Amino acid sequence: MTEAPVEAPLVTAGLPARPRSRRLSTLVRTASGIAAIGVKELRGRMRGRRAFVIVTLYLGLLGGFAWMVATLIAQSYTTGFGGSSAFASAAVGQGIFAALLMLETLQVAFLAPSSTAGAISLEREKQTLDLLVTTPITTVAIVFGKLLSTLVYVFLLIAASIPLMAMVFVYGGVGPEDVLKGYIVLIATAIGLGSFGLLCSSLVKRTTAATAITIFGVLAVTIGTIFVLVFWTAMGGFDSNGNRKPGPLGIRSPEVLAYLNPFVAQADVLCGTETNFGSGWCGGVAALVPTDDGVVFTGNAVPAVPAGPAVIEGVVVDGKGVAVDQFGRPLDAGPVQAFGPARDRIWPRAVATWLILSAVFLTLSVQLVSPTRRWRLRRPRRASATDG
Amino acid sequence: MTPIVRTEGLVKRYDGTLAVAGVSLSVDAGEIFGLVGPNGAGKTTTLRILATLLAPSAGEAEIAGFSVTRNPDEVRRVLGFMPDVFGVYDDMKVWEYLDFFARCYGIAPAGRRRMIGDLLELVDLADKREAYVQTLSRGMQQRLCLAHALVHDPQILLLDEPASGLDPRARVELRELLRELRVLGKTILISSHILPELEELCTSVAIVDRGQVLAQGRVADIERRLRFGAVLRVRLLGESEVLEAARARFAADPDVATATVLDDGTIELGFRGDDAATARLLAESVAAGLPIVSFARAASDLEELFLQVTSPDREPLEAA
Repeated sequence: MTEAPVEAPLVTAGLPARPRSRRLSTLVRTASGIAAIGVKELRGRMRGRRAFVIVTLYLGLLGGFAWMVATLIAQSYTTGFGGSSAFASAAVGQGIFAALLMLETLQVAFLAPSSTAGAISLEREKQTLDLLVTTPITTVAIVFGKLLSTLVYVFLLIAASIPLMAMVFVYGGVGPEDVLKGYIVLIATAIGLGSFGLLCSSLVKRTTAATAITIFGVLAVTIGTIFVLVFWTAMGGFDSNGNRKPGPLGIRSPEVLAYLNPFVAQADVLCGTETNFGSGWCGGVAALVPTDDGVVFTGNAVPAVPAGPAVIEGVVVDGKGVAVDQFGRPLDAGPVQAFGPARDRIWPRAVATWLILSAVFLTLSVQLVSPTRRWRLRRPRRASATDG
Repeated sequence: MTPIVRTEGLVKRYDGTLAVAGVSLSVDAGEIFGLVGPNGAGKTTTLRILATLLAPSAGEAEIAGFSVTRNPDEVRRVLGFMPDVFGVYDDMKVWEYLDFFARCYGIAPAGRRRMIGDLLELVDLADKREAYVQTLSRGMQQRLCLAHALVHDPQILLLDEPASGLDPRARVELRELLRELRVLGKTILISSHILPELEELCTSVAIVDRGQVLAQGRVADIERRLRFGAVLRVRLLGESEVLEAARARFAADPDVATATVLDDGTIELGFRGDDAATARLLAESVAAGLPIVSFARAASDLEELFLQVTSPDREPLEAA
């Protein structure tokens, strides 16, 4: 081989001119690093027919499940003594929505973290991480690139289900905003649990161990939180007036546990489609997470009194919780009671919780992946000690 | 000439054990510098510190004027690193592998395609462009890994045991490749525990053992600097008593450092003297009636040197 053809291109294929600003350069480097990892991961993942077979199978299963639920609910209306056919249609729509949303939540809750659980540890196991870390690619880019390329795949499955989900609009009973809420929760769950898997992957050396810890974590937030909430509530109970009374663990169950559970968040979303209360999804959510302002389906509890004039359930009230007319004169109706389930309480907080947790998990992962930056907090002190 | 790679009192501790105990190296631009030592000598740790994969516990390391601890990003841009054990990604074609690393270095798409072709030519994998990386033989993967370390046209290459696990033919090819790279102006820092591999290749070596540099410099300089000038091999007629008596006689000579009877009946002498002293020893031995069949100076190569300076019962040597 001659040297000439090699030497020239090696020189011309040099690095792009480095931007002047250091911060900008880091940003550009991180973005191109994320792109590099994304391209690499997706090239492998999307190669051949595999991805398409998986999506097809997935949609087939999802569609089959939706059809079965629709048939079941329709059946209950033809054989039982149900209401009007319009109501039956809405019930079918809500049923399909609930079935698809819960199934997708299940899929996301396990698929996202178990896909990321090998992201870093596999690189360690296959001894490819060293090659990656010695490039100028930032550890932030490695961590985010891994997360995003995994999530793109999960999001692909979510997106593929949208047309199927749109079927609920044929039956009615579910608004577009309900579907939107459901997908927001799904995406937040994917990001949050995906980051959790990534953290496990960078924390633990072996992929099998990382996956086991991740799955354990997912079980803890899905089944574990429900168990604790049920236990907590059961320790309380009601007094003879039907009001909640404190148990040995206190009256208020730790509501934050419910924020961690994507199924409870989805149940809250599904509650938004319901017109009745005291049963169904709303009832389930309320049973798990009784709000301390006593809302509401028992009908006995006293609602929170707003500080100033407000509108509760369509009635204008003054600062004392007394219903007033348009001139501010009290109505005879007496204190207004917020009646109906506490809707849209859990899911926005669940989304916020998972996004915050995700930020924490990713920050930790970045520190763990970085080969030398790992103990940066300690190093300046040591350096000054040796200097002095 | 200012050294392009320089370490000063590099120390690395792992939970109390000292993997690198004050390594000071100096490598000039354009050299092929061999880091030689037995397994566990601290070669890999030293290279990993230089490659910004490990933070040193103490000491300084600079590459092309950049500190590995304070300017790791700059160091990574001038450095190509090939670890001793490395894996390959599944589900990736050879060109995709190089394309991925080129992207990691932020090389523009226009340059990438041509560069990949050229590098595959260089490492003789052009016909494997579309093959999956995991289907390549060990030697091919090794060459591909070397190509990955070259995508950004670095000034310096750090190669940790690049020939380990290769068959003799692949070794020869690798050696040729490294020579070619040297012609291209790369400075190459290469570690190995197999000496013959480095001997023909390296311009300078550092002999490392137990985390310390025992000797460093041009191969010939090291030979001179160390007191053991040569190894003499003497074959004698006779049985073991005769050999033992001869050995005792040799051992008494002031220029003989060591005298050992080998299994094949040869006596091996660690000899400090020059040629005149060698002639004197031979004359005296013959005059003393020793039945000498052959008396030869074994080529004093790196391996011998290595065995001498890294022998388990060696006296502490002053680091060069």
